[in-house]
Amino acid sequence: MSSEPLLSVRGVHRRFGTGPTLVHALRGVSFDVAAGSMVALVGRSGSGKTTLLNVIGGLDRPDTGTVHVNGTDVTALDEDGLSLLRREKVSYVFQSFGLIPVLSAAENVAAPLRLARVAPAQRERRVELLLELVGLADHARQRPTELSGGQQQRVAIARALAASPRLLLADEPTGQLDAETGLSVMALLRGVVESEGVTVLVSTHDAVMMALADRVIRIHDGHLHEQAAGQPYESTPDVG
Amino acid sequence: MNRWLTRRWPAPHWPSIRGRGRTDLGPLLLTGAVIAIVALLAGAVPALLRAAADNAVQDTVRRAGHDSNVLAHADWERDDGPNGGRVRTAGLADDIENFRARATYALGPDLDAALLPPVAVVNGPILSVSEGNVPRTFQFTYLAGDLDGPDVTWVAGNAPGPAVPDEYIEVPYDGPPWPVQVGLSEADAAALGLGPGDRIPVKDGQGHDKNVRISGIYRPADSADPAWQLAPALLEPVPGADGVGTTRFGGLLSRESLPDARLAIDEDQLRRTVHFVAEPDALTWDATAALASQVVKLKAVSGSSVREEPLRWESQLDTTLRAARARNSAASAQAAVLLVGVLTATVLVLLLAADLLVRRRTPALSAARQRGAALPDLGTELVIESTVVAVSAAAVGLALARAAAPGVHWAWAVPVVLAGAAAGPAFGTLAAARASRDRRQPANPTARRWIRATGQLRRTAVEVAVLIAAVAAFGILHQRGIVPAADDGGTGELTGDLILPISALALGALVGALVLRRLVPLGARFALRQALRSRRPLAVFGAARAATTAGRALPLLVLVSSTALASFALILGSTVTRGLADGAWDTVGADARVDVGADAEAATPALAERITAAPGVDQVVVAQVTDSARVFSESTLLAPRLVIVDTAAFQRLLATTPLPDASALARLTAPGPGDVPALVRSSRGELRAGTPLQLSRDDAPAIRLTAVGTAPSVGGAGDVVIVDVAALADAGLPAVPNTVWVTGPGAARAVSNIDVAADVVLRADVLRTQRVAPLTAGLLRLAWTAAAVLLALGLLGLMLAAAAGASERWQTLTRLRTLGLRPRDARWVAAGEVLPPVVVAAVCGPLLGALLARLTLGPLDLRLLTGQAADPAAVLPWWLLGLLSVAVLAAATAVVPVESALRRRDRLSEVLRAGE
Ligand SMILES: Nc1ncnc2c1ncn2[C@@H]1O[C@H](COP(=O)(O)OP(=O)(O)OP(=O)(O)O)[C@@H](O)[C@H]1O
Ligand SMILES: [Mg+2]
Repeated sequence: MSSEPLLSVRGVHRRFGTGPTLVHALRGVSFDVAAGSMVALVGRSGSGKTTLLNVIGGLDRPDTGTVHVNGTDVTALDEDGLSLLRREKVSYVFQSFGLIPVLSAAENVAAPLRLARVAPAQRERRVELLLELVGLADHARQRPTELSGGQQQRVAIARALAASPRLLLADEPTGQLDAETGLSVMALLRGVVESEGVTVLVSTHDAVMMALADRVIRIHDGHLHEQAAGQPYESTPDVG
Repeated sequence: MNRWLTRRWPAPHWPSIRGRGRTDLGPLLLTGAVIAIVALLAGAVPALLRAAADNAVQDTVRRAGHDSNVLAHADWERDDGPNGGRVRTAGLADDIENFRARATYALGPDLDAALLPPVAVVNGPILSVSEGNVPRTFQFTYLAGDLDGPDVTWVAGNAPGPAVPDEYIEVPYDGPPWPVQVGLSEADAAALGLGPGDRIPVKDGQGHDKNVRISGIYRPADSADPAWQLAPALLEPVPGADGVGTTRFGGLLSRESLPDARLAIDEDQLRRTVHFVAEPDALTWDATAALASQVVKLKAVSGSSVREEPLRWESQLDTTLRAARARNSAASAQAAVLLVGVLTATVLVLLLAADLLVRRRTPALSAARQRGAALPDLGTELVIESTVVAVSAAAVGLALARAAAPGVHWAWAVPVVLAGAAAGPAFGTLAAARASRDRRQPANPTARRWIRATGQLRRTAVEVAVLIAAVAAFGILHQRGIVPAADDGGTGELTGDLILPISALALGALVGALVLRRLVPLGARFALRQALRSRRPLAVFGAARAATTAGRALPLLVLVSSTALASFALILGSTVTRGLADGAWDTVGADARVDVGADAEAATPALAERITAAPGVDQVVVAQVTDSARVFSESTLLAPRLVIVDTAAFQRLLATTPLPDASALARLTAPGPGDVPALVRSSRGELRAGTPLQLSRDDAPAIRLTAVGTAPSVGGAGDVVIVDVAALADAGLPAVPNTVWVTGPGAARAVSNIDVAADVVLRADVLRTQRVAPLTAGLLRLAWTAAAVLLALGLLGLMLAAAAGASERWQTLTRLRTLGLRPRDARWVAAGEVLPPVVVAAVCGPLLGALLARLTLGPLDLRLLTGQAADPAAVLPWWLLGLLSVAVLAAATAVVPVESALRRRDRLSEVLRAGE
């Protein structure tokens, strides 16, 4: 692994609203993530997890501060630059899967490859491989509505991995799943970090999930608190 | 606890109602505006038509002229004296007065009110004036109105006096002609070259001289007095009244000379009639049924009086009124068809608006539900809101209708108000109920399939119901039509049994839209399969969006049915417009027609030459057109319009006009011995090709004609006989042309100041009169208005559908953006979703409209409005229909740019957050 961090966040502030409705969601967040690691982002509801992931992925812009992904300053990119970034380097997995309902699982996984104009033969090989990886080789032709929630999220993960991104941002990917399914999805993410060499930043509420991460970053009221991996969420002291 | 006690009335939460009203003010106002506008239309149109109906009845009666008069005839009491002679009845004028009063009484108050005060007319026989070389006729007439006949001043001589002092006189049958005094008008006297004291040299049919002497020359105080219309020869000589080339003169009798007039001619030759001239302004649509049946009743009891000389009634007023009623019924049925179309589209738009509203509210409603609000309470709150909106909007619309039209019909607004009041609560309650159920689909595939199957079953049931209704509607429409049975008892209102046929058009549009709604998802899936094979990612995503949203029924239903119905309205309007134009061509036969007066016929050829020389004149054709020519077919006398014309020129004229060409005309000039070839046309089929005909003449043997083909219609006459001028001249009858047809841009100017006594009929004038006829103008206005309103409804539906789908669309686009889709490419994907239903509507709507026009225009009886002999064929105004499509497409292509402009500032993160 290179010494250069894959992700570097520096002094990021993000406020919402004005006057009495002003919310300071991120208050000077700075951290680095090394390539090929899985980092869990934990915190209470409303602590700023989603906001932070959005800023990192360029879905939102910080008021101040910078975000570098693989050497690219995300905050300086225009819309087309961001599109290119998402096509090549950063992908997302959401709590509510976000699959295209009329397309089969395989076609959903192929979507980023189509955007990247990968040749059909190569595309099909890649899709097959990824569905194999997420354990859905037998469900390639099924539509999202014909899959269970866990299976849908696996398809979403396969899709996120399709274009071989460097960074995968997952915002509560297990939020709509029961505990057991959630855990298997988390284990899958853990697995792809190893097999695909991708860096994963995943937000979660669940202490069990955290155990799978290399590193846990705790966010509270827009401030970061580093925490050793594997420690249960409940036992962390509440810092004001 | 007792279940009784747990049951309670729904308790609406008023602050929630107010809060929701404030947040969704826009959509609610829009819904209200739609309801108000359509209520205005639906409320005003029947009332306006009703007013037009009054005008139309008056117009029809006015145009019918003398035909709409009511006449009562009565025979005389015999005047046999005790000594085998005839007795002079000195009080004959009082008899007439009595007769007039009797007829008025028999008329009944209703008819009396619709007719002008009666004028009794006593006419002598048509006598011939024995001097002079042109045939001249003479008739003496006694007029008695309320004030003893129209006022005159005697400019020379005196009013006619009695032949003998007022005493009892009995005249032998075989005595010399009894003297009678008459007054002459200045014009008549001048034309006859006679003055006071002169005897008018007249003979009766048997050649017996009559002793008619001029007592004086009079000048009418008011020549416009309607009484003169009953005997126009009393004002001036009337050409053509007793046959082609004749001139009739009139002599005015007075109270004093009337008894002598009776003795001057044979018994039974003096005829008395009471004329009731219709007063169009006093007629209303409501009265027509009663009046028509009263006239029928009078005609039926004719001659059945026992005490006195029975009255015989004669009138075409009932037929005229019935024709007016039929036209009115047709117009109101046509209007109803258009209105039902507008109402249907409106109801669909209101459903779409309610759908949009509920989509906006679903989060709030589910939240309320989760907080524990009961469904009945939520439903009640929504009902209160929607009822307030719908009822107040309809009240505003109807109030505006009241201000704009004479009266208002609220019944038509009911479906719109109901839809407005019910759709929102129904959708909202369903959404709230669904929210409280498990949100996710059942994992069990069998259960999922079951849910899908029941949904499909429900939809199919609705579709089948609409289909059955449409089939029934079209069946009834074609079997019995939609014009209410025109019995005199009927009120002319649309009755319940007409609801189905009147809805045929709207149901047809719905069925068409439902068929497309089935086809569009198939098409979208096909397109998606094709796109997946292509290498363009945008095609895949666009087609995927199209396939995802193709199942939405309401937007497609609204778009297709409103474009189809708007197209139908345009087709209806164009068909009527073209029908009027064709009708004007039929009536005039060219751009202009000159009907030369009987005295000036000799000048016709010279006149035609002058017209030909005028600038801008294309074709000039002269002809002799004689109405009610005496043509015998075998032994029956027919009275067709006889047209004697240069057939080659006539054919050329027809070829340059939109009138149907008549190639059979060429057969008239084919040389051959024997009978003169003729083209014939008859409304009742008595004149057929091959029939031998005889054209009778007064003073020469009849000319034999053979029908060799079917004649074109000339001037809208039902019975026509056309012969070639040269062929007829060869057979010994030279024509005297009295008609000039002129075509060309300069036709109107060329005939504008001709120096010959002639009537000029311009096609443009005829067309204008037809267009402004109350019903025709009203229906045309309604057709154009309906087309505009339907287009507006379609565009509104497009907007609402776009708004209802917007949040999901941008959610999806944002997800695609997270995969790396560029912003400008996202627009193409959005277009892939928005455009397909609009393209389908823009293409299929007009086609469906044209199909519906083919299926429904026939039973609509448009000919009753265009004044044509047959129903006009549907005219497809392609450029108007194209414009309609372009308008819809243009609006749709604007949706995506406008949406993306509105959302340009939205960050992806916010869109995603909103979707969670
Ligand atoms: N677009 C926005 N407008 C206003 N406030 C916002 C917006 N987005 C986020 N916030 C506020 O910022 C704070 C952080 O929100 P964020 O969604 O990042 O929390 P979170 O940690 O993801 O919570 P959860 O675990 O519930 O998803 C919250 O107080 C939220 O209300
Ligand atoms: Mg969050």
